[in-house]
Amino acid sequence: MLNQSEKSYCEALLALKHKDYRVAANHFDAAALHFKDNREFNLLKETTNLLLTVKAERQELDSKDKIEIEEVFSYGQEENLR
Amino acid sequence: MSYGDALQSLENLLESFLERAVAAKEERLRVLSGVSRLDDIAHTTKDGGDITESLGEWFAEHNSWLSGDGLRPADALRINEILTEIREGLTTSADTSPALDKLGSEIDRWGQRATSTAQKLVLKRGPETPTEPAEGSIALFDRVLKRVANLYADSSGSRQHILSALDDSLESAKEQKSKDALLLSAFIIYYLKLNNYLVDPYVKRLKEAESVIKSEKRHA
Repeated sequence: MLNQSEKSYCEALLALKHKDYRVAANHFDAAALHFKDNREFNLLKETTNLLLTVKAERQELDSKDKIEIEEVFSYGQEENLR
Repeated sequence: MSYGDALQSLENLLESFLERAVAAKEERLRVLSGVSRLDDIAHTTKDGGDITESLGEWFAEHNSWLSGDGLRPADALRINEILTEIREGLTTSADTSPALDKLGSEIDRWGQRATSTAQKLVLKRGPETPTEPAEGSIALFDRVLKRVANLYADSSGSRQHILSALDDSLESAKEQKSKDALLLSAFIIYYLKLNNYLVDPYVKRLKEAESVIKSEKRHA
């Protein structure tokens, strides 16, 4: 039988292939103890984590940039636009 | 470039790196993924689940491995081990059907393939010999150290200052082409350097003595 950590590493690579970075990060975490001295593993794991951080940062930045326009009507009449 | 642009650029770079890294491992990943899936099937067998369909699909998908392409001997052996476990599960199972029989014979076919490709690695080494080189170097250095200590005792006995002893030692190294004197000189110079003496002129003389000794060795 295969070691569970080996399977997790494999799942992580497959997730990377499908660009499921969050799933990949979770699988990397599951395999981390077994592969802690594997440089290639650590590089891929840390790059994935960094990518997720960058994506989160971008998302936050994008949400701040959005201008919310709300139309307010009272009694079916347009009162103002803010 | 704005902060947002920089983030976008970094994101693209990281994605591109991961994409290429995975692409470079594509073939290996295909094998590992196949082995992992087979392992899942083996677990299902152990839990008493029906594997007829999943194992049949696995064989169909990985049939090319039987011809020996793209599979390392270690992988072939690993697959064979897992298939053997599955085979044992099938044998102990009370259920029998033509489909299961067919899977059994397919497992046997894979087993034969693994046996034929298995490579035996034989490591050979010569008869045991005492580790003379290591002991020799220790003993050799020990002798040199004693000779150098004696040399220092001789040259420093009548001197008032270590610089005079160094001067004598450098002279011996150069004129008598003495390697021991050269080592002693280097040792004293390093000692003086650590104690903040200006050693540049002595280093220059040491290098001169060293080149004389090297030149003598070449002509010997």
